[in-house]
Amino acid sequence: MSAVSIAGVAARNVVTPRSVEELARAVGELHAARAPFAFVGGATHLALGNAPRALDTVIRTVALDRVVEYAAEDQTITVEAGMTLAELDRVLAAHGQMLPVDVADRERATVGGVVATNAFGRRRQRYGTVKDLIVGVTIVRPDGTLARGGGKVVKNVAGFDLPKLMTGALGTLGGIASVTFRVHPLPEARRAAALHFDGSDAIARAARAIVEARLEPESVALYNYDALVVSFGGTPRGVEEQMRTLLDRVAPGAGAGAAHELVDDEPESYEQRERAVRRDGDWRFTVAAPPAVPSWTLGSFVAAAPLAVPVAYPLLGVALHAYAALAADAPRQCVELRAHVAAQTDGCGNVTVTAMPDAARGRVDAWGDPPPSLPLMRALKARFDPLALCNPGRFVGGL
Amino acid sequence: MPVAPEASADAERALHARFAALVGEKNAIAKPSELRTYECDGLLGYRVRPAVVVLPASTAEVAACVKLARELDMPVVPRGAGTGLSGGALPTEGCVMIGLSRMKKILSIDLPNRVARVQPGVINLDITRALASDGYFYAPDPSSQSVCTIGGNVAENSGGAHCLKYGFTVNHVLGLTIVLPDGEIVELGSRAGEPAPPGYDLVGVVVGSEGMTGIVTEVLVRVLRTAECTRTLFATFPSTDEAGDAVSRIIGSGIVPAAIEMCDALAIEAIVAATGIDWPLDVGALLLMDVDGVLAEADEIAERAEAHLRAAGAIEVRVPKDDAERALAWKGRKAAFAAVGRISPNYHVQDGVIPRKDIAPVLREIAALGAASGLRIANVFHAGDGNLHPLVLYDARVPGQEHEAERVAGEILRVCLRYGGSVTGEHGVGHDKACYLGEQFGPDDLETMQLVRGAFDPERRFNPDKVFPTPRLCGDRPGAYVPHAIELSGEAGRG
Repeated sequence: MSAVSIAGVAARNVVTPRSVEELARAVGELHAARAPFAFVGGATHLALGNAPRALDTVIRTVALDRVVEYAAEDQTITVEAGMTLAELDRVLAAHGQMLPVDVADRERATVGGVVATNAFGRRRQRYGTVKDLIVGVTIVRPDGTLARGGGKVVKNVAGFDLPKLMTGALGTLGGIASVTFRVHPLPEARRAAALHFDGSDAIARAARAIVEARLEPESVALYNYDALVVSFGGTPRGVEEQMRTLLDRVAPGAGAGAAHELVDDEPESYEQRERAVRRDGDWRFTVAAPPAVPSWTLGSFVAAAPLAVPVAYPLLGVALHAYAALAADAPRQCVELRAHVAAQTDGCGNVTVTAMPDAARGRVDAWGDPPPSLPLMRALKARFDPLALCNPGRFVGGL
Repeated sequence: MPVAPEASADAERALHARFAALVGEKNAIAKPSELRTYECDGLLGYRVRPAVVVLPASTAEVAACVKLARELDMPVVPRGAGTGLSGGALPTEGCVMIGLSRMKKILSIDLPNRVARVQPGVINLDITRALASDGYFYAPDPSSQSVCTIGGNVAENSGGAHCLKYGFTVNHVLGLTIVLPDGEIVELGSRAGEPAPPGYDLVGVVVGSEGMTGIVTEVLVRVLRTAECTRTLFATFPSTDEAGDAVSRIIGSGIVPAAIEMCDALAIEAIVAATGIDWPLDVGALLLMDVDGVLAEADEIAERAEAHLRAAGAIEVRVPKDDAERALAWKGRKAAFAAVGRISPNYHVQDGVIPRKDIAPVLREIAALGAASGLRIANVFHAGDGNLHPLVLYDARVPGQEHEAERVAGEILRVCLRYGGSVTGEHGVGHDKACYLGEQFGPDDLETMQLVRGAFDPERRFNPDKVFPTPRLCGDRPGAYVPHAIELSGEAGRG
């Protein structure tokens, strides 16, 4: 197994357990040896977060790739953490179902990684995030104990919600061994349109008009500051009606310069173009703002030319900004961007640096100022991982 | 151990004075006669008198009360409207009960960001009422929505009929202000509708934690645009077998209705007797279903659902002729528990969940349990989610019947677990089901949940005797050990 680095820190060892039992044993042994460790799935998000304070062993989950149980008629599936999204797509599609979580590089990205990073994309508009889809989890605690939370039915309030706690925790409270999702039927029909705009006000107006018109799009995504791609999924007649409302009423009402239907997989091709411009060493920011603030305009505060085809989700209040380079004063620019976003959002927005050159690490905090609940987060970390062995320092506030 | 204040008048007066100094004379209650109201919630049959009840009017007053409780080393039990069915707001001996009923303001409605900020004592339905004229609504709709409060909904992660499509309370709460067991005030999650800041999902942990992590004093909820149209279908069946089969067919075919509710013959009888609604009495089961969305889609899905209902053996499929008739059908459904209360002196309700494909066989097992015990069992529940609500009818005046009803209700939960389900879908574990949680989860699972609790409440001050099985609650039967799924599959053992 080749070397693995997390946010610029190389691991001394890599282990690849073949079963959940081996996973638990590996963690237990590292715990006994007081050796710091981290979990890695498809290795698609290793630039995310701050450099770990210590790292001895990387535990690759890629060999934990089995379907544990698939109850297609109940629309739930339990899979091991190392299964790739592409494989999960194939298993589900055979029964006309899907896990509507959009992530790049589905052939590599794993279920565990998607849960740990709470990854999302354009269809968050309709289906929510992993938090809205996860119903159960089996974890390996940093001391090697296996524990289960949630269950395999779609509705369940028994016990504390470990599935939600593990979602987005970036593997700092333990590792994910297996996950149960509620899945959705593949829409029978899918159609999409691109609306082109000149100016941010019209884009914001269009986004708001989609809600007001009671449309239920799968996704509303803005590419390159001008193309608003709206996609619908559902029954053929329902999709037809929504397309007509969008093109005949919403687009002209919001002042779209042009509006046309996309064919086949064009909505995906927009995303692929965005991914195609990614390079190691880029600076990438995720700006979150209340939806009424045009989050896609906030990055223009950075004094660097943005890469083409950045993405924003106007109804969700999220924009992904990307720059090929920032000047030598990058840390100062990050501080100023954060101050600018705070000012524009009345203190409600936040900026995450999702990728940065390794040379900048240590000078820029990927997460920014921690939220006021940091003491609670620290208390959770101390209970789950009192020896701070599990991915220490990579997450918010040094968790 | 917390010191239970003596029931002596002096101690009572002293305690009252300490809390009255924080919330005002009439908002601190310590007279035994006035405390009676607070002795139980919707789980009747258990009563414990709190030492004192306080009714704070602000986050700061809640925090002050919690700090004083801590100084006096008293347990704290929060209470909303007291409609909970699992005893989540059952007082603990010698506790300070913090009632949130005076904190009932809708603080702000922000439609551009599609959120509303409310205090915990706001009644669930009042949020939708405040939004209706703008064409928005708050989605979670527990049957008690005209009286239950948002604070209680957050504590229990309440569901409702329409969460089949829209999700539960946790999917609609974006941010919280809570008072921690040490009296500190902390904001969690989103502040104005923006995606939550990076960090652990503490909102997701607090929602559904049954008052054990913090006392919620402000809630930022998501509000939704009302659907363009709603189609309602009402279908009757010879028995729950065909009705259960219809639900399995609909879910299995990939249709996602907004709600599918089932009533069996005994529930129909009770609802008709109580409301006079014109539902047929000579059927074995009925389904009430909502499909919503854009017009063409709702119509198309309703047509397909109707075909599934007929294919499964429906006797009759009706479409309400107007909104009034539709509202009446739903009123009948939401009045079901009260209606059953009129045909039986007492009942014990359960809240187990099963996979949706297994509704028919599980209902048959429940019927067999009823027949063997001689107790009648009515079923009225959220079929689309597989969330059962069996009501075990009994007469507390007949010696032994109450105990037998509880036993049968417990056996029903075991059936749900055997089918891979859960002991609670929306009512919470509370006091009622704590002893069964140890049958759903193994010791390591429960210990892990206790780690979460310990991070919020190391002294176990908030709602201390709920959710987790203890020898004191469950006798020497802390729940039979259930092997972990992974152990069963041979992938892992303990050690």
